[in-house]
Amino acid sequence: MEVSETIAHHILDHDFGVMVGTLHLPVTAHTVTMVCISLVLLLTGILMARRGKSVFSRLLHTAGEEYVAFMRDGIVVPGMGVEGKQFLSYFCTLFLFILFSNLAGLIPQMKTITSNISVTGGLALCSGALIVYCGLKFHGLWGFIKTFVPGGTPWWLVPLIFPLEVISLLIRVCVLAIRLFANMLSGHMVLLSLLLIIFIIGGMSKMAGTGAAIPAMGLEIFMTLLELLVAFLQAYVFTLLTSIYVGLVIHSH
Amino acid sequence: MDKLLNPDFGVMALTIVNFLLLVWLLHKFAWKGLIGALEKREQQIADDKAAAAQARQEAQGLKAELDARLQQIAQEAAKKMQEAVALGNAQKEQLLSETKQQAERLLEQAKAQIEAEKNQALADVREQVVNTALLAAVKITQQQVNAQTAQQAVDEVLREVSGQESARA
Repeated sequence: MEVSETIAHHILDHDFGVMVGTLHLPVTAHTVTMVCISLVLLLTGILMARRGKSVFSRLLHTAGEEYVAFMRDGIVVPGMGVEGKQFLSYFCTLFLFILFSNLAGLIPQMKTITSNISVTGGLALCSGALIVYCGLKFHGLWGFIKTFVPGGTPWWLVPLIFPLEVISLLIRVCVLAIRLFANMLSGHMVLLSLLLIIFIIGGMSKMAGTGAAIPAMGLEIFMTLLELLVAFLQAYVFTLLTSIYVGLVIHSH
Repeated sequence: MDKLLNPDFGVMALTIVNFLLLVWLLHKFAWKGLIGALEKREQQIADDKAAAAQARQEAQGLKAELDARLQQIAQEAAKKMQEAVALGNAQKEQLLSETKQQAERLLEQAKAQIEAEKNQALADVREQVVNTALLAAVKITQQQVNAQTAQQAVDEVLREVSGQESARA
């Protein structure tokens, strides 16, 4: 097996889908991981919301409150204004879901599901839907359409500007998906490549392979720590950009 | 490797359904309660801060009132002190004046008494001299005397007078 095939084999999702009638259910490592993450998040959320008497319970509750306050004061309100408070639940879930998805790959037998374009595409579509929903909610259909034409645009430029603005919105949504996917995939590929260096050099000479293992493992540890940082950073960036894009639609004037 | 960039719409649809369901469930069972608790806590903090600000304002008003009262008391004390000093000075002046008058009166009395005693003494001396002169005249007339005897007689009279003076003293 070639190196590229080995990397692809490890990174690609393999569908063991089942058919329920005519409906095809994609049962893959990524979807199973996604469901596991969702269950963990749901359980964590329920535990955080409960205010028990034990120290652990109170700590968890306080951490939950601080998390919500951070999301509200650090991301939602600065990006969307006070109108964004009604969508706070969405953003709280989005950040944690992406973060857990990014970190899942660090657990053995689990996958970084955000290195799958279908997953990041799905999340970006949800954000795109939120942008459109907010545009319709705060401006109405005609008002939302008018937001695609900046004020003061000459009438003869409208046919050019309007499609450009629509495409701009679509590109924003696509960029959300591609940025997260590319960042997580590249980190994953670098980690895998560093490991493969040991085996490639070891195939040529066992002594050289053993010698290469030390720097390769050092780099592996460094990259893993970097991936940890990137996991938090990308979750934050995705959530922040979504709030900014929604805020741009809400406060289009 | 091309498969990496080919989206699986089944996975995408499952992601959307899974994520939206998770948003709804977490909103219902987690975020709603946490947001409510957070807003309640923030409201409580805001109320406490407002109460503290009001209490501080009241305390400042009370302090200003007490300061004014203290200043008024200090002014009154200073005024009363000035009055007491003035009264003390007046009483001192009065006492000094009375004492001086009394001293002068006593001095006058003493002088008068001395004068009276002096006059009395002079009268006594005068009377004594007269008596002595009379006595001397009697003696001179009773015997023939010369100037020497007359001088002796005067000396004798004077010795008697001085003997009487010393005996009186």
